Amino acid sequence: MAKKILIIEDDKFLRELISQKLSKEGYDIKEAVDGEKGVKAVKDEKPDLILLDLILPGIDGFEVLAKIKEDPGLSSIPVIILSNLGQKDDIERGLKMGADDYLIKAHSTPPEIIEKIRSVIK
Amino acid sequence: MFWKKKKTKRDNLDIDKAKSVMPDNGNILMAIVYYLTDGILVFDKGNKLSLINPKAQEILDIENKNIIGTSLLDLCRNSRVQLLTTVFGGGFKETEKKELEISQDFIIEVSSISLVINREKTGTLVILHDITKQKMIERLKSEFVTVAAHQLRTPASAVKWTIKMLLDGDIGELTENQKESLDIAYKTNEKMIRLVNDLLNVAQIEEGKYLSKLVLSDIEEVVYSVIESYKKMIDDKGIKLEFNKPEEKLPKLLLDKEKMAIAVGNLLDNAVRYNKKGGKIIVSFSINDKEVEVKIEDNGFGILENQKDKIFTKFFRGANIVRIETEGTGLGLYISKNIIEAHRGRIWFQSKEKKGSVFCFSIPIKEKFGEFLTGEFY
Repeated sequence: MAKKILIIEDDKFLRELISQKLSKEGYDIKEAVDGEKGVKAVKDEKPDLILLDLILPGIDGFEVLAKIKEDPGLSSIPVIILSNLGQKDDIERGLKMGADDYLIKAHSTPPEIIEKIRSVIK
Repeated sequence: MFWKKKKTKRDNLDIDKAKSVMPDNGNILMAIVYYLTDGILVFDKGNKLSLINPKAQEILDIENKNIIGTSLLDLCRNSRVQLLTTVFGGGFKETEKKELEISQDFIIEVSSISLVINREKTGTLVILHDITKQKMIERLKSEFVTVAAHQLRTPASAVKWTIKMLLDGDIGELTENQKESLDIAYKTNEKMIRLVNDLLNVAQIEEGKYLSKLVLSDIEEVVYSVIESYKKMIDDKGIKLEFNKPEEKLPKLLLDKEKMAIAVGNLLDNAVRYNKKGGKIIVSFSINDKEVEVKIEDNGFGILENQKDKIFTKFFRGANIVRIETEGTGLGLYISKNIIEAHRGRIWFQSKEKKGSVFCFSIPIKEKFGEFLTGEFY
């Protein structure tokens, strides 16, 4: 069965672009446009992996991550942060909070993102 | 002119009061000192206060007017004076424009200067200058750059991803010509991303919170990995790079590896970029009991004699290289210098136009710098 990936990203263009690319790779894609909808989608969809942006309207990515990790039913879902916040502090904070990996959008290409997803969910 | 000075709420320098405490025989110089908008204190040879103007009293929050003749030690009962002495110590070490945070939204600049008359030290002059507003503007400016740069990254990512997908044939096959054009677009966008990174680095430098946690690391390894990442650029230009491993094993240094790699990368980038095809670069190390030195030598275009003093300035680009390479932000060496100095290191260079440049930097070995281990360091 196709692995399910949830993309939490507020930028429509980026979201559609990466969603299109991942669908082509055979993944089942779900999308959420802000933090609140993201948390809801994690609960409803129980995805195999979450691609999480950090700067989101309403509750931000760090809060979304915290909510996922404090819920025993969801905490085992791998999370890859995909953000343009590239400061070391942000990266360390994200990883410390339990994210599996951290990618900076402007420094990664779609194939690199896929590679990362593959290495995390195998 | 002082008699026209408007009184504001913040500025509680009371002209009339100032006049009343001014000695009758006060001359024009005394008047100037009294009305000055910087705080002035003068201590005599025995470290006793011999003069203080109203602004200094305001800054240091000293109510008592009868404090002339009081010793520095006694003055230290006032918490702000005590804070002040942390800058120049009890012995009035000469300091120039040292920043002092009195409270969260009140920052002053302190200078302490020996008063020498007829070659004899007769006392110490302390000048207090309020820089709160300046600091606030600086912070706003860096915050603006940070926000702007983050905002710029999102569209740059979108362009990057789209072009990459087009190039990879995800959206349909392309002709060779189309690929070539897109390749140029991709590279141009990468330059834009690099520029944004540079701007973010500069903004962080200016906010003063630049280095992350320092860990004991191998500088040789850092330099080597930077060279590896430039391998393609070096080969494409037919440059011969000589990497001289250190003669003895280098001690580990306290580094923010990521930032150090940026500093070394900028130096190497210049040595490659501002070099002719088939040029030469030598990277070497040396060590003494205090520090490890890294040297990057090239036989490229060099730096013009009359521009050498500007080389580490923000946005500066050499007149001789602007003609050859139109690209470049003029931020590289500024960033490198700041990174190295944040590691308490030094950076310097020698250069001759058309002959090449040698850039060196040194990083202290930790045993000699105990405060590295305990002290707060960004």
